[in-house]
Amino acid sequence: MTIILKKQDYDEILGHALMNLPNEACGLLGGLMDGEVKIVKKIYLLKNVDQSPEHFTLDPKEQFAVIKDIRRGNGVLLGNFHSHPSSPSRPSEEDKRLAFDVELSYLILSLQDKENPVLKSFRIKEAEVSEEEIQVI
Amino acid sequence: MSFSNDQLERYSRHIILKEIGAKGQKKLLNGKVLIIGTGGLGAPAAMYLAAAGVGTIGLVDNDAVDLSNLQRQIIHQTKDVGKPKVISGAETINEMNPDVKVVTYQEWVNASNILDIIRDKDYDFIIDGTDNFPAKFLINDACVLSKKPFSHGGIIRFQGQTMTYLPGNGPCYRCVFLNPPPADAVPTCRQAGVLGVMGGIIGTIQATEALKYILGIGELLNSYLLTFNALTMEFRKVKLPVNTNCKVCSNKATMKELIDYEQAACDMKPSSQA
Repeated sequence: MTIILKKQDYDEILGHALMNLPNEACGLLGGLMDGEVKIVKKIYLLKNVDQSPEHFTLDPKEQFAVIKDIRRGNGVLLGNFHSHPSSPSRPSEEDKRLAFDVELSYLILSLQDKENPVLKSFRIKEAEVSEEEIQVI
Repeated sequence: MSFSNDQLERYSRHIILKEIGAKGQKKLLNGKVLIIGTGGLGAPAAMYLAAAGVGTIGLVDNDAVDLSNLQRQIIHQTKDVGKPKVISGAETINEMNPDVKVVTYQEWVNASNILDIIRDKDYDFIIDGTDNFPAKFLINDACVLSKKPFSHGGIIRFQGQTMTYLPGNGPCYRCVFLNPPPADAVPTCRQAGVLGVMGGIIGTIQATEALKYILGIGELLNSYLLTFNALTMEFRKVKLPVNTNCKVCSNKATMKELIDYEQAACDMKPSSQA
């Protein structure tokens, strides 16, 4: 699977993550899934109700609003993203444990080195992690 | 320039190719291809280039759509019979892809207008989709003199051929074929017939060359003549040498002006496209 993400959307995700430091930031991605391609058409910056540098929880009310918006013509829910303020871009044990949907992409933006943020995407199936390609264009 | 959501979706199969990516797709959107002849070869070439998102496509043709064209000239439809081919072609492309700007030249190419047409939009690549030798030599000479790459294509009956000219990199059409054959020595498609798909096979190879040239990927058919026989299903790729005495592209070239060759009188009407 390849994820195509517009540069302006990437910049927004990065901005959101930097603004939420030292806590983790999170959000959802809507768009199209077509064969081996996921095209991100719209990103949703959500609140991390945990307000924690090591955990995140999406606000259920916001999630419902996002799903409604996606259904209004922005394709399907493609996945989610969250930041790792001080660890690498790889799913933590908790990330793996809470990844219940094998179809979704789990994007992690590492700000361990703030000058060189690293965004990666993963599919997670019963704690088995595989990385996906992301093209930021 | 950034992509819209619709463009991302439309070109996603290109964008995920490592050889193309977003950069390559932008090159295509900024690319300019001139197609001379909107017939058997030009129709499929134009359609694939339009679908691929080549941003500017020039169509040259002075002919109108004839019912007998529709067996192979797939850019035109039954409702277009009687319409100028460049208009019919432009309408089809506009419906296919709003990203493409079509420039139409409703005229036959000749020695006095072809350089202006090529210069009009400073086209990156030219496709010869004509069906007669005077036009083929004229296109070759004009491209050599204006240092433009072009793809030659020709089809008749069950056979087709194509080669690509890159300035300073391999032979030109005249290196290989020297001069047009005597008028009427070779039958035209109108006289000899042509299997409809031949234009698709050769025309889409020509479109492939144009795309690869704009993208700067792969190897082109410069220094090669590719021939195809639909009855035996054989492709042959024949290596071609540069003619060091070529009168248009060699360093002994004597030709500085374009020539309009006589066309066999019987072929002047009604069609000049393959």
